[in-house]
Amino acid sequence: MSTTITRPAPSVTEPAPEPRRTSAVLDLARFEARELLLQVPILVVFGLYIVYAGLRLVTQSGGTDDYPILNQIDRATQAAPLFPAIALLICVNSAALRSRKHHTAQQFEVHPMEPWRRTVAHILSAVPYAALTAVVVAVEYTRETLKPGAIGHGSFGELAVGPLVVLLAGVMGVVLARLLPSPFVPMLFVIVGYLGIVLASGAEAEGHRIGWLSPIIFQDNGGDPVPADLLGRLAGWHALYLAGLCVLLACVAILAAGGRTRAIKAATAIAVAVTAVGAVGQVPDSSALEKARETASKSPEKVQSCARYAGSTYCSFPEWNGVRGEWGEVAARVRAAAGGQAGQTPLTVRQRIDTSGGVESDAFLKPSRTPGQVTVGTRWGGNRVPEFAVAVASVLVAGTEDEAGTMCDARTITVMWLAVGTAPHPLDTFRDVRLDDSISGSAVILAPTEPLTMTTQQTSVVRALLDRPRAEVEARVKAHWTELTSSNTTTAQAAKLLGVEAPKGADDCEE
Amino acid sequence: MSRALLWALVPPVWRALPWRALAVGGGLGLLLAASTRLPDSTPSSETGLAVLRMVALFGALGLAFLLDDPARHTTTGVPVRRPLRAGLRLTLVAPFMAAWWTAALFLIPAASRPPAGFLTLEALALAACALALPATAIRFTTETEPGRIAAFWLGITSLAACLVPDKWGLFVAEGTGEWDTAHMRWAVLLGLAAVLWATCLPEPLRRRSVPHFTPTGV
Repeated sequence: MSTTITRPAPSVTEPAPEPRRTSAVLDLARFEARELLLQVPILVVFGLYIVYAGLRLVTQSGGTDDYPILNQIDRATQAAPLFPAIALLICVNSAALRSRKHHTAQQFEVHPMEPWRRTVAHILSAVPYAALTAVVVAVEYTRETLKPGAIGHGSFGELAVGPLVVLLAGVMGVVLARLLPSPFVPMLFVIVGYLGIVLASGAEAEGHRIGWLSPIIFQDNGGDPVPADLLGRLAGWHALYLAGLCVLLACVAILAAGGRTRAIKAATAIAVAVTAVGAVGQVPDSSALEKARETASKSPEKVQSCARYAGSTYCSFPEWNGVRGEWGEVAARVRAAAGGQAGQTPLTVRQRIDTSGGVESDAFLKPSRTPGQVTVGTRWGGNRVPEFAVAVASVLVAGTEDEAGTMCDARTITVMWLAVGTAPHPLDTFRDVRLDDSISGSAVILAPTEPLTMTTQQTSVVRALLDRPRAEVEARVKAHWTELTSSNTTTAQAAKLLGVEAPKGADDCEE
Repeated sequence: MSRALLWALVPPVWRALPWRALAVGGGLGLLLAASTRLPDSTPSSETGLAVLRMVALFGALGLAFLLDDPARHTTTGVPVRRPLRAGLRLTLVAPFMAAWWTAALFLIPAASRPPAGFLTLEALALAACALALPATAIRFTTETEPGRIAAFWLGITSLAACLVPDKWGLFVAEGTGEWDTAHMRWAVLLGLAAVLWATCLPEPLRRRSVPHFTPTGV
């Protein structure tokens, strides 16, 4: 009787040592990354993204663009990468489903590389695209920081969001391919995800911190900037959360593909912990934040430092220390043209913000009642410069900003001539500070706080003064300073004192 | 074309329809529309408009898979031509889509519902684009399942179109001066997409070699 002897199968070639397997995964990742580059969506959308970023670099209008607020610039790099992220999600997903679509999945089963290693390669193929996004973001941000007028500092956490979102999208593409292998899933997921981001942005705007679980938050960046520490954005923690989420999703995809090694399980546990820490860490201490915002709005002197230039004091939040010199130049220019005591009175220029209606809202600053105090906002450059000159001139003439808002007499003419007549291009500046960009008729004059009003008659006098040689008008202003800064002098009298034709009709301030 | 042949064609075409894509897209759309009933207060009409546009997009994304046919190359030679088969697919789906859209419209509370006629025009135009894009891909490439890529372009151009200023845009807010002109643009888009769909339906006589970046295709 013979027994079947079961021998152990002759040992097959031992699995190759770890480094060679790793290099095989890397090779496959490199191949997949190159394949992705040849996909039309990736080519077109990444191309458009780079062209768009390039166009923004070369087409800058000057004005406030010359004084970029870096704590807003870093966030401005976050939204545009969403489009390449969507393209990457779709293409990585279809690359991961390619063998399924072409019915070659069975052939791969005899391949020595396990499915989970191929999954790792697909995940890694997204990394070069995240790196490309990082390069674009870095170039965009560096260009702004190199401007001489750059204000404040950006945050690495905010800058990292764009590239991390692209990476997250790539990883998500693989996860969807492993969990829901269907061609219609990724695009529907994208739309649902977009909807989720919109809802999260809405929730965040209403003050629910849960909104921060969304990878990015859409925000309207148009409002008045505030110091970075008042933003309440813990960008570093959020970036940590995103990075943790990328690793966590990658682990999910690998586990779903059968990669149940101990290292993967450990990585999953660590990723869960990191993501949780990041998610919790990004919630700021709201009471301290509220207090800081209130201090900055109501008693900014506690958090500001001051510097003296040419006899006046300039107080700003620390991030704006660099522009105080330029405020000083404008104030000195206006003061030099003023007569009487005003030429010597020391001014206090104070930077103010108002966060009572939310940070970075277009807040209305109440005019200051303190004599000799001039308000300046957080933006600088462009039209903000003549507006500040108007504020300086109105404090020199009327004593306080509050008083300047109500005046309707010769003083308006003096203020406008001081602010505009001393500017390098008086007529253009005159048009710019008027709300309707006109140079005739009545108008509202923009200022950092409450706007001034000008009647038709006052406008025609100022226009006439701007046509005269500057030195001649300056001499007359200085000679008649007392009358020109008195509330009892009418527009017609002022015109006479300044040697221009008196306009017809009386002032109609209530217009 | 005999009626008998048409009836014989209905069951296989019915089975070949991408029901799952349509059901998931349509289901998500209905869920979104129904979510406007959840809050205690009636949502604003802007919310209603945005939600209905999203619903239309979900439906269109489902429709983008209508012409997917893995057996495309083996059915090139059958006597029933492709325009007829594609037309039959659309005819079978159209009543469901119409019912689905009506349901979505009624799910939005009446107070926050934007003008139904205008929104239906938008939804029709989106659906026509969702049909025209894969039809073009089929006409000019050897792709058997162009739905995925068509859905991508439909989705991403819709998102990009939201960023276009109202003056040239499609997704304008209600009550602005641009509302009527924007809907003229929607009507033009609908016409163009319908014409494109119709012209791309016939089987290409000769397979032209399109510069193909990669054999994998997306």
